[in-house]
Amino acid sequence: MNELSRTRDLVAQLRRQLGENDPLPPRPRPQEIPFPPVRVFPTPARRSAFAEQAAAHTTALVGIGHVGTRYATDVVLQFQAELAVAHGAVAAELPGDWAQSKGYVPLVSRVSSHREFLLRPDLGRRLSPQSLQLWTEQSRKDIDVQPILADGLSAVACMGAGPELLEAFSAECQKRGFTVGTPACAKFARVWLQDEIGQVARARVAVILLGERPGLGTGDGLSAYLVHGPRVGNTDGNRNMMSNIHARGIVPADAAKRLAVLVQLMLEQHTSGVGLDLAPRAAELGEAARGGYRAPQARSRLVEV
Amino acid sequence: MPILEPLLPKILSVKRIPGADPALLRAYGADPDRHTSLGLVTVDQDDPTYVALDECTKHARVDVVYARSFYAGSRHSSGPLSGEILGVIASDDPDEIESGLAAIVNTLEHDACFYAANDDGSIAVFPHVIASLGTYLSAIAGVSPGESMAYLVAPPIEATVALDFALKAADVRLLKAFPPPTETNFAAAYLGGSLEACEAAAMAFAEAVVAVGREPRDR
Repeated sequence: MNELSRTRDLVAQLRRQLGENDPLPPRPRPQEIPFPPVRVFPTPARRSAFAEQAAAHTTALVGIGHVGTRYATDVVLQFQAELAVAHGAVAAELPGDWAQSKGYVPLVSRVSSHREFLLRPDLGRRLSPQSLQLWTEQSRKDIDVQPILADGLSAVACMGAGPELLEAFSAECQKRGFTVGTPACAKFARVWLQDEIGQVARARVAVILLGERPGLGTGDGLSAYLVHGPRVGNTDGNRNMMSNIHARGIVPADAAKRLAVLVQLMLEQHTSGVGLDLAPRAAELGEAARGGYRAPQARSRLVEV
Repeated sequence: MPILEPLLPKILSVKRIPGADPALLRAYGADPDRHTSLGLVTVDQDDPTYVALDECTKHARVDVVYARSFYAGSRHSSGPLSGEILGVIASDDPDEIESGLAAIVNTLEHDACFYAANDDGSIAVFPHVIASLGTYLSAIAGVSPGESMAYLVAPPIEATVALDFALKAADVRLLKAFPPPTETNFAAAYLGGSLEACEAAAMAFAEAVVAVGREPRDR
């Protein structure tokens, strides 16, 4: 208490009443955040020389530019379109009567549904009992080459370039004097199904042509797997394969020739896979026999903006 | 600066003139027949000084012969010693002047002062309670010496709003009002009543000035 001034005491008391002796810190001024400057990100009309060269070495999405921190609209649309193509190809299913309409022996693996096909690769590698019986009855036995068309992971590819490749390949083999088996078409098939089919037909070489795993924008690619002495239990080390058989990769006519050359090598060397020596017929195989750098295929645009 | 922190007055000069010239005495309102000596103070706060001058009349046999505020206040004073007010006390005895000046200094240092009514002290309020009036202010207020008085000062809008609040807060009467503009452009009022009533009114006045400073516009 201040003995000298009654007024000062009274004011100090008022101050306590107002809560000013222990005041809260003054409210900070709201921070002023300036509006961001208006920025326009023009899409460059041309790619830089560096992006041009980098993109020439790969089909990956490089050198696609950016708008601010984002992709350009046409890049996004392109990506979505390509992904849709891949999704569509995976989801597609080979119609049940398609094989018969094309004149092939219709075979089915032990898979009973498309979903099971995606989840159970092991079931896709063996024939169902009915198909096994059918194939045993209808197949031509003791042959050089057993050609098989199959849906694999892209029924779209199978139904697209499949028949053309099968015809061309069979013709090439016959031209070289090999006996060709009854053409078969397998549904819900994995690569290894060729072992059982070739084993039943007692073929010296089995060739399965099937839709390959779709990538961005490629749902129509076919792969061919060849094995000498097909029998259940063969491993991937016993097989040769050729991929990217489609209009923008290896065209079916070229692929048919090279596959026939591979079959010829297998019949000559009585082996396939890791043990097969491509050198004797390297000239006929073309670039497939060489290792090293190969220029990437051109990307086709699915969307024009 | 916390609210209601005292803003202490600064005493800028304290001078004595023991045997003043009669012409000077007359010029400053003294009576050469009764007064021979003068005591002078300049301070940078006028209202605490009026209170101090009144206080000194209770401590010594002196008369407050002259006390005027300067125009526009201490921030616009004519010199470093001018401040806001010149107060002159007169007596026939230099010792009485000495006692009077001591009382003035004591009051300014320990009692009467403005208080900050907002955070940066830019609004000042003077809610002073005089328990017992001396001869000087009692004459101005028109009451007898010894009565209680609330001496209330604040800037114009704060003072006007707060005066209404003070008058309604206690059993007091308005003795004298000093509406703006005044020399320093503050507004002031004297309220009379019992000591308790004057204290309650003065604190209500201070509280209202703070409230006006916090919300200058009615919503």
